Amino acid sequence: MDRQQEFILRSIEERDIRFIRLWFTDILGSLKSVAIAPAELEGAFAEGIGFDGSAIEGLARVHEADMLAKPDPATFQVLPWRGESQGTARMFCDILTPSGEPAMMDPRNVLKRALNGAAEHGLSFYTHPEIEFYLFKEPTTEGQEPEPVDQAGYFDHVARGTTHDFRRAAIGVLESMGISVEFSHHEAGPGQNEIDLRYADALTMADNIMTFRTVIKEVALEQGLYASFMPKPLSAHPGSGMHTHFSLFEGDQNAFHEAGAEYQLSKIGRQFIAGLLKHAAEITAVTNQWVNSYKRIWGGAEAPAYVCWGHNNRSALIRVPMYKPGKGQSTRVEYRGLDTATNPYLAFALMLNAGLKGIEEGLELPDGADDNVWSLTEGERRAMGITRLPSSLGQAIQVMEDSELVAQTLGEGVFDFFLRNKRAEWDEYRSQVTPFELKRYLPLL
Amino acid sequence: MARRTTVGQVTTARQASFAARLARFGFADPAAAEQVLSAPVMGELRAGPTDEKLLSALADSPDPDLALAALGRLAESMSTGGRAEAGLGGLTTQALQSLGEGSAVAQLGDALHRDDLTARRLFAVLGGSAALGDHLVRHPRQWPVIDGELGGDDLPPGPANPSSDFEADHHGHAREFLEGVPPRPFSSFTADQMRSELLQAVGADPTAAMPVGELPQDEATDALRVAYRRRLLGLAARDLAADNPLAILPTVAAILADLAAAALEAALAVARGSLPGHGKDCRLAVIGMGKCGGRELNYVSDVDVIYVVEAVEGADEHKAITEGTRLASTLGLVCSKATPEGTLWPVDPNLRPEGRQGPLVRTLASHLTYYERWAKTWEFQALLKARLVAGDADLGARYLAGIEPMVWKAAERENFVADVQAMRRRVEETLKGPDADRELKLGAGGLRDVEFSVQLLQLVHGRIDARLRTPNTLLGLEALSTFGYVGRADAAELDRAYRMLRALEHRIQLFRLQRTHVVPSGEADLRRLGREFGFRANAGEGLSALWRKQAREVRRLHEKLFYRPLLAAAAELTSDEARLTPEAARVRLAALGYRDPAGAMRHLTALTLGVSRRAAIQRQLLPVMLGWFADGADPDAGLLDFRRLSEALGSTHWYLKMLRDSGAAAERLAHVLSSSQLVAELLQRAPEAVALLETDEVLQPQPLSSMIAGVRKGAARHEGDPVAAVMAARAVRRREIIRTGVADVVGLSDIDSVGRALSDCAIAAVDGALVAAADSVRAKRGDLPVRMAVIAMGRLGGRELSYSSDADVMFVADPLPGVDPHEAQAAATDLCSELRRLLSMTGPEPALAVDANLRPEGRNGPLVRSLASYRDYYARWSVAWEAQALTRALPIAGEKDLGAEFIELIDPLRWRPGGLPDASLKEIRRIKARVESERLPRGADPHRHLKLGRGALADVEWTVQLYQLQHAHEIPELRVTGTMEALAAAVGAGLISAEDGEVLAEAWRLAARFRNAIMLWKGNASDVPPTNHTSLDGVARIMGYPPGSAGRLDDDYQRVTRRARTVVERLFYGWDV
Repeated sequence: MDRQQEFILRSIEERDIRFIRLWFTDILGSLKSVAIAPAELEGAFAEGIGFDGSAIEGLARVHEADMLAKPDPATFQVLPWRGESQGTARMFCDILTPSGEPAMMDPRNVLKRALNGAAEHGLSFYTHPEIEFYLFKEPTTEGQEPEPVDQAGYFDHVARGTTHDFRRAAIGVLESMGISVEFSHHEAGPGQNEIDLRYADALTMADNIMTFRTVIKEVALEQGLYASFMPKPLSAHPGSGMHTHFSLFEGDQNAFHEAGAEYQLSKIGRQFIAGLLKHAAEITAVTNQWVNSYKRIWGGAEAPAYVCWGHNNRSALIRVPMYKPGKGQSTRVEYRGLDTATNPYLAFALMLNAGLKGIEEGLELPDGADDNVWSLTEGERRAMGITRLPSSLGQAIQVMEDSELVAQTLGEGVFDFFLRNKRAEWDEYRSQVTPFELKRYLPLL
Repeated sequence: MARRTTVGQVTTARQASFAARLARFGFADPAAAEQVLSAPVMGELRAGPTDEKLLSALADSPDPDLALAALGRLAESMSTGGRAEAGLGGLTTQALQSLGEGSAVAQLGDALHRDDLTARRLFAVLGGSAALGDHLVRHPRQWPVIDGELGGDDLPPGPANPSSDFEADHHGHAREFLEGVPPRPFSSFTADQMRSELLQAVGADPTAAMPVGELPQDEATDALRVAYRRRLLGLAARDLAADNPLAILPTVAAILADLAAAALEAALAVARGSLPGHGKDCRLAVIGMGKCGGRELNYVSDVDVIYVVEAVEGADEHKAITEGTRLASTLGLVCSKATPEGTLWPVDPNLRPEGRQGPLVRTLASHLTYYERWAKTWEFQALLKARLVAGDADLGARYLAGIEPMVWKAAERENFVADVQAMRRRVEETLKGPDADRELKLGAGGLRDVEFSVQLLQLVHGRIDARLRTPNTLLGLEALSTFGYVGRADAAELDRAYRMLRALEHRIQLFRLQRTHVVPSGEADLRRLGREFGFRANAGEGLSALWRKQAREVRRLHEKLFYRPLLAAAAELTSDEARLTPEAARVRLAALGYRDPAGAMRHLTALTLGVSRRAAIQRQLLPVMLGWFADGADPDAGLLDFRRLSEALGSTHWYLKMLRDSGAAAERLAHVLSSSQLVAELLQRAPEAVALLETDEVLQPQPLSSMIAGVRKGAARHEGDPVAAVMAARAVRRREIIRTGVADVVGLSDIDSVGRALSDCAIAAVDGALVAAADSVRAKRGDLPVRMAVIAMGRLGGRELSYSSDADVMFVADPLPGVDPHEAQAAATDLCSELRRLLSMTGPEPALAVDANLRPEGRNGPLVRSLASYRDYYARWSVAWEAQALTRALPIAGEKDLGAEFIELIDPLRWRPGGLPDASLKEIRRIKARVESERLPRGADPHRHLKLGRGALADVEWTVQLYQLQHAHEIPELRVTGTMEALAAAVGAGLISAEDGEVLAEAWRLAARFRNAIMLWKGNASDVPPTNHTSLDGVARIMGYPPGSAGRLDDDYQRVTRRARTVVERLFYGWDV
């Protein structure tokens, strides 16, 4: 029993916490939770809590179903929405095999492995996501377009706005759980909001994103709203992305920064971007894992569908933000492809390894794009060597199947499960007859 | 080796030239020496060319040339006044007065002639430290510090000891000083005196509660350096002139720590002085960590500290923290800044909470909160060494009192055993590494090893036994020995080795006052160091030999510290060996990784109890072997199997002798027994095969021909007794399996040679069985009316057998001319049945199942056919898969001619002119597709079936065989039976790209190794990897993975076979991917 564990046991006593939720994430990025009584916690710290891993999608094969969930004491937080007295707390768990080895199928372990790989280069990986989501009025009806809570647009200040109250409440909860918020504002779509989290190391941030999604949903429910992270809920309005800023640190130094270089971007930074560009298509099935994700990417309006980078180019897949003089530590790279419904552990692991591969192989960064890539003709894009991201989940799966990078990063087990699951999703989607077809063809054919 | 004897029979020197005399005194460059000595100022020193006394004193210096040159510069500097004025810092009034009369040089000359000790110390330091020589030249008036100036403790030394003291017992010295006043000649080096002196040097009042330096910061920084160096000079002179450097080592190291503490105190006073208001609102305690905390500092080393601050009563805490931060950073700067007077050492505050990221200073409450909530194991380990060294004593005491209870409780963490194991492995890895090049600290057998091992044992046992808790390495070792956790003699040896290495390190650092842990390789440097350790003739070589010897001692330290005491406990020895209590033994065995410490203790007792020769030798062997077992996947099983083997073999002469005399054999045995159940069981059955462990040479595979010769001899010996004859043949195979298994487990053979060896011994067994069966049938039926040949098929034909494979064969019998075909067939059938019976019957030697189901018509066909019958059959009935099976047909026993005739018969079938017809190609692909879905056992995971799974053995074999069927008729190189050979030939012929070939070969070899490792691990054959993680871990280790790699092995296997499957789909099925 270490100090942190003792501290937790003590706090539980002092704050009269009645339940502890042990959280972990399945391969598709759904949060899983098992509640235990405080009396069980000491055992959980020592040995983990046994559970049937095969019941969780992709976690284990049937005959090795016994898995252990072992809480990570550093992630202890009281859940504010469960009330002050007789409260509930949560901890994220690592999933272990019965012999105590980290389970290869645990997404948190996938990210940890990738981070360890970076640590061997002396690098640590920081991320800073801008998370977009929609707020709809309750109740939503299955199959119907949901109704947004307002009709405002980008940065609009809505007087007596519901979203205003909502953001204030949500940020309050996030901050009380130790998740720092940097920014929040109304986004371009009606009822669409954006909240930016303050940068943190990738593992903490992935945990934070999982927490964030839960918090937003909980707070919305309290206010009689429905919050959705669906990548493209309204066909007429922009989708919800999760533009994410990355930086690599070598000790205390931002490895992307080099004073005097173009955009203050170091060689490592350029190689990292080159790696990300090279592997962007392969990792898309993970960064944009749903059928619906591709409707955001290909929805126009500067969505990041083309594999290129630019300085302050808001249509490029990768953007190198404007350098603020004297802020060498904040040099970073923004990847605009991710959507909010990704599994952040897997996505971060892949982006990191794609970038590292660029560094290892010493890739040259192609020229940046200055124009709005959407306004170029196909011929122009070809001439400039700009390729496209997969146009559908089906295509993304095909590209991923041949990717050694993805297989190595995820581990064979996760890789295999993910492909099987996504193929099934794609097959199911393809087999439907959609309203579009009925509307267009039935009168005609 | 005589130490500090006087040199030079000067009576004979009169006739010789002065230069020759100087050479005889040991000067390497007599001309330069002569020049120095003839300088006018030397006259004032009365150090003329004829001054025998001074010359012989110089000759005794570690480096006479260097010492004389420095003496010349010193005298020069004194006579010209030098920078003496600047050098007054730190001088006592008494010293200043004594300088009043006569010229300074003359006074030095007087002192050198008056007192042997003065000369000896001066020349020791001038010859031993170029840096301190330079310092003295700049501050010539400081020389009296080497003498009696510091106090009246410097009585003349006793008669010079012969320095065979390295063998003497130094025990007890450490405790004496560390707990009291420093012994002569260091009695004036108390912490208090040094603190006062350094504080005064910066103009601070030593009696003040918060001393404040009155000198301006820059001036004070220089003054502190001068005063510090003066003490260092005094200390080094006494240290270097000591008769026995090892005896005083702990004292010197403790004084260095105290001197550093005094410097920190003075630097704090300077920092206060530089702050407006002198930071009066802030109490600050400096906690020493690392070697400074343990009072075992080097001459030059980073000084590790942690700062604690607190607001004085009524002051604002926030302000106190701000002030404390400024104090601490100025303090660091005052110590580390390079000025014209040099630098002291870097102050390293990075052991503080949160390391570099954390705030430089914290309040007591903040420290405690951090350690309560966030700290990691290693931080508590570091805190073992915490000690108040400067600043506010009350605050420091409260800090230590707050920390102490946490430190030892930290050892009760859940991963404790795993952490300890990892630490032990790390140390043992370095110990096993190549001979330490020249690294004293980190190399194999270096200082770090001793420090780490002592700490490790303190951690293991200190939780329960508080008497072991000391921050000092030598005291820790002493406590471990006193309270019976390590053997006395072993502890004493290690103590000596540690002192030797530290004393050497000190002398290396002193020369240039540089932080280095590398033994120099220059001849002059080595000579100087050797002379400092009392060597005279061949001083450099003597030193190197001594150092290597001590490093070797340290390299055996694990045996001594960890394992021997366990044995003493088990064997109930009555000697003065350490006796662990049963509880302590249990704790230690568990920490080493034994899952059943009680059982292990029983085995140890059984192995070592008593007065037999066997017990005596095993008492010698087991300390090391215990560590080797602990490195294996199953230490408990290893120890148990060793006990069984020893009970079977202990009375034989060669067994114990081999283990005792060949360390490699014992290590190999321990490794094999704790890794492989299969080999352990085979060894139980035939213990004499342990002899195979002796050398790498006996682990070389036996050639097939010599095995066959052995089998035939056995058959001849047992003519008339077929069972005995076949057992002899099976014994040959068993020995070869053991040999292969051992070579496999210790990583001496690759999968190709394992497959070859296992096949060859099976072939030899079949050969022997055929002879025995013929013997048996002949006894019943008279002379055999047929010629016989045995054709190997499948993996045996490919000579790629696994540990668990059956022998696939077909039998060919050709009737002798004029014999009735029915009679011949009956006799042949008898013969083949008898062969199978003999090979598979229960017996003391491992059986070999013979499978003849690949024959025409399978189980329904006759067991044996004549050549003509085969010809008929193949002409009429042959189907595609039969041609495919025949790709592996290889005659292995019986009549050579008949075998060749059979091959001639089937060659046109398998290497069919024109290649494989389209219809057959389709047929083979279809069969394969069906086999994939049907043959796989129900519920098996296709990704994890080693034989029939995705990209596994069958996938690769079918692909390769398909290429053979298609192309062997035009490419003779493809006409081979081995999968890897055929694949290589296909790549060589350009049929398969090198890249694809690589992917297929990797998958096939990995799956084959995996299957073999499963068999080796528990002795049960399986085509499916164990789902139990402990087992999978054991299997992975046999395959050469580090411990805890079950998941990695699984992942690697999946990756390799996934890639192979892509290639198979393209090459075998012709799918466009």
